Amino acid sequence: MATEQELSDFLRSVEKRAFKRSVYHVRDEEAALDIVQDAMMKLAEHYGDKPPGELPMLFQRILSNCTLDWFRRQKTRNALFSNMSEFEASTEDAEFDLLETFDLGEGSQQGESAEDATRRAQIFREIEAQIQELPARQREAFLMRYWEDMDVAETAAAMGCSEGSVKTHCSRAVAALSKALKAKGIQP
Amino acid sequence: MTTIEITGSVLQEQFGRAVGRRLSAGTAELPYHVTERLRAARVQALAQRKAEATAPSVVANGHAGAVSLGRFGLWQQIGTVLPLVALVSGLVLINSVMNERRASEVAEVDAALLTDDLPPSAYADPGFVQFLKSGR
Repeated sequence: MATEQELSDFLRSVEKRAFKRSVYHVRDEEAALDIVQDAMMKLAEHYGDKPPGELPMLFQRILSNCTLDWFRRQKTRNALFSNMSEFEASTEDAEFDLLETFDLGEGSQQGESAEDATRRAQIFREIEAQIQELPARQREAFLMRYWEDMDVAETAAAMGCSEGSVKTHCSRAVAALSKALKAKGIQP
Repeated sequence: MTTIEITGSVLQEQFGRAVGRRLSAGTAELPYHVTERLRAARVQALAQRKAEATAPSVVANGHAGAVSLGRFGLWQQIGTVLPLVALVSGLVLINSVMNERRASEVAEVDAALLTDDLPPSAYADPGFVQFLKSGR
């Protein structure tokens, strides 16, 4: 059973990534914060007594469900303008720039020249933009595999699909990202 | 798996990890209001967990006591159960007293109506009610 400290450490270790992933999905900072908070509360309330090793998987699953719940609520709230279609497989982008509000925090990299910092920030923005362009399932699989460091089996369990599907999603996501970044002359 | 497929898989892995590193580096510094909100959410979640963990522990202790009284000591068990027993008995007592009081009030009204000179059916007569109103 995870102690309070272990649970706290776990939540601290995943909260930023969870927030960003939610932002990529819902494209709304406030909504993303609500989703992460909801997921944290559910994890603590229902699975706070689970072993620490089980928490990452459970949290990913809960976060995905909370995101889906948000889309469902949005759909109910506004039947005419539904964001659900975006979550399914849309590749069309809305006029939204999350990074207008994103501050990389200058001076965080000691000894780095201003030019390098600008370049690094630019690459990060481009990568984020391209990740947002991915279809939701590809994005989810890609981020779980390569950002959350989950293996194929864990990702498949968290997404509720087969391992083959995860591999396909990841492969397509990598192909799309690498093509898009290459076209912009970016090497991650 | 052929050599080309393996190479492709390795390249895919390398590319994915490189993007992951870029994302981690970029996400390390989030705006203050976001980190504060996340911190508050974390604290709230932990408090929720604490509240959840406390509630079942009373039940768990009670359950353990029912199975083996000797585990936590007899007095501890009695101390745990006693307030509950006192609460339940108090509620039962209050309920019976209230029932009795209500029954006696109804009985008093009934007795007054039945022993009165006027028959109870007179109160249902519209003419008599009018008579009472005009007499005041």
